[in-house]
Amino acid sequence: MLNLYFFLTLNGLGLGMIYFLISVGLTIIFGLLNFVNFAHGAFFMLGSYLCYALLALTGQFWVALIFGPLIVGVLAWGAEKVLIRRAYHLPHTFHILITVGIALILQETSILIWGPVGKSIPMPEALQGVVIMGKFAYPKYRLFLILFSAVIGFILWLLMERTRFGALVRAGSESTEMVSLLGVDIFKLFSLTFALGVGLAGMAGVLFGPIRGADPFMGPEVLGVAFVVVVIGGMGSFTGALVGGLMIGLVQSLMTAIWPEGASLMIYGAMAAVILLRPYGLFGRA
Amino acid sequence: MNRRSFLKTGLAATTMLAAPGVLKPAMAAAPVTIHGLKSMSGAFASYGQFAEMGSKLAVQDFGPLLGGNPAYVTIDTESNAGKAVRKVQEAIQQGATFFDGCTLSSTALAVGKEVAKGGGVFMTPAGADEITGTDCNASTFRWTVPTYGAVHETVRPLSKLLPKARRWYTITPQYVFGEALLTAAKDLFKDLGVEHVGNSYHSMQEQEFSGYLTNAMAAQPDVLVLLNFGGQASNCLRQAVNFGLKKQMTILMVWTAGLDQFQSLGPDILEGVYMGAQYWHQVQSPMNIALVKRVKEVYGMSPNYPMAADYIGTKVILEAIKKAGSTNGKAVAKAMEGMAYEGPTGKESIRAVDHQVIKDYYLLKGKAKSAMKDADDLATVVSAGQSFPQGDKILCKMA
Repeated sequence: MLNLYFFLTLNGLGLGMIYFLISVGLTIIFGLLNFVNFAHGAFFMLGSYLCYALLALTGQFWVALIFGPLIVGVLAWGAEKVLIRRAYHLPHTFHILITVGIALILQETSILIWGPVGKSIPMPEALQGVVIMGKFAYPKYRLFLILFSAVIGFILWLLMERTRFGALVRAGSESTEMVSLLGVDIFKLFSLTFALGVGLAGMAGVLFGPIRGADPFMGPEVLGVAFVVVVIGGMGSFTGALVGGLMIGLVQSLMTAIWPEGASLMIYGAMAAVILLRPYGLFGRA
Repeated sequence: MNRRSFLKTGLAATTMLAAPGVLKPAMAAAPVTIHGLKSMSGAFASYGQFAEMGSKLAVQDFGPLLGGNPAYVTIDTESNAGKAVRKVQEAIQQGATFFDGCTLSSTALAVGKEVAKGGGVFMTPAGADEITGTDCNASTFRWTVPTYGAVHETVRPLSKLLPKARRWYTITPQYVFGEALLTAAKDLFKDLGVEHVGNSYHSMQEQEFSGYLTNAMAAQPDVLVLLNFGGQASNCLRQAVNFGLKKQMTILMVWTAGLDQFQSLGPDILEGVYMGAQYWHQVQSPMNIALVKRVKEVYGMSPNYPMAADYIGTKVILEAIKKAGSTNGKAVAKAMEGMAYEGPTGKESIRAVDHQVIKDYYLLKGKAKSAMKDADDLATVVSAGQSFPQGDKILCKMA
């Protein structure tokens, strides 16, 4: 039995790192731009489809992993320039309307291009197979995801904490006016941050592709999980996304042994408990 | 009644009284409209598009049975029971009588009640057992084999194929459909004398199955039985294969959507996996051979489950109108009771007591990529058979 719980904990950590990767872009965008991006799940879905398309074109998963997020990021940058920046000063309801519209456009465009039926994405050859641990097996690809997400998390931390760009983003999240008055092109910073956040959603989509395939309707489910993680961690908090992701992954994995039918429900239960105890999330500020 | 109406009615009555022999041709000339209830938008749009293609083709192919070309109208159910019911109510108010389709069980159950109130006919391929069980009615007919048959025609033959497989584990979605499959599976495990070593329930929203699969691994079963459906079943299978379970145990998906789901999963995932199916395009029945040829001519593809189900559903309604010699809904429904016909699965018939179509259910096995003759040759038929609740197990009490 202990063996089972050890394995479920390992699996939960793996899931948690994936959830971190899904939600970190959302929290970065909200933190700086105070913008609620309901198209985050759709950009994730686009990442998965780009993984499928680039893999079909080149046969190389690693090409998809580099260019998939880049393409998604560039698209997001364009969308920010053309549309989204015009809505920053509007109430959140307008953000929701605009981004839900973008999500629907992306979803229907995916159906037009790739059809309504989902696509399977093969594992990269080097990461196929499982690691046997007693009577359990764990996919090599999921182990890679844990490590890769940790590396991405570390790079993001360096970017946010040790670079001028990160300093500006953090300062901008405190006061955009002040940063602007210091001579920084705040709109350029906004565009880059939006592209980075959405590019991370695209990266998560590429990485999740071999596990879940690509499906035109996967966006809303992913968006739901991302919001739960961000709310638990605290809106705009990088550390919060990491802790929130790990917490949700562990709760979901362990609950499959304790109360399987309530495993999904308990994600929201955990969110409710955190909100009751800390209304702004574990690392959020009023 | 004005003078024009009086003259029209009088003329019609005189014609009928004077020449009863012309009644049938008169019926044949009467306009018949088949209303296809298809989820053309929303989460199940992929099914609706194929279903619509099936119904349209059936109207083209079998319309001449009625001496003219019946009309066909699609009603988009929007994958939403409430919206579907409102649209069906409007259609009935405008004189609609014949309905075919509904992928979603909740929609089919709600629509069936409305059609029954309007005295129409409704043929559906939906999955819920209640349609021909506790919620049956005089107007509703179902083509799909119920959960009982799906379990019996997959678990039983697989158990024969694998006599050493004594330990079976199930993964079940916790709602009515999953519970029905699980109950039937547990009963059958007892009959077969095999051990049910565990079950993992999951919610209707679940898409991440790694935790449930870990529990399954811990139970060390010989066979892992997936009792979920659609996207959940696909994700569960995909993740089970990722976790290497295909090498550790046999995997059975009791209820699949057939070809389009298999295309989405691909041969790398499907190879060696056993799958239950309502329809398979390679079945060598006379009608299916003709259907495959026709669909390839018209649409350039192999027919899949929603297409075949709505093709035969529409055909049966048209045949029943001809048999009844009337476009009256109640007369046509009566004509359908006990009707036998050539269907895509071979000889099919409609059981009068509950309006359940009696037809084959298939156990398929996923092929290796190297063994495929074409892109749709994803599985081979292992067995086919018919199992339906009998006697006390028929829960339909037809009013």
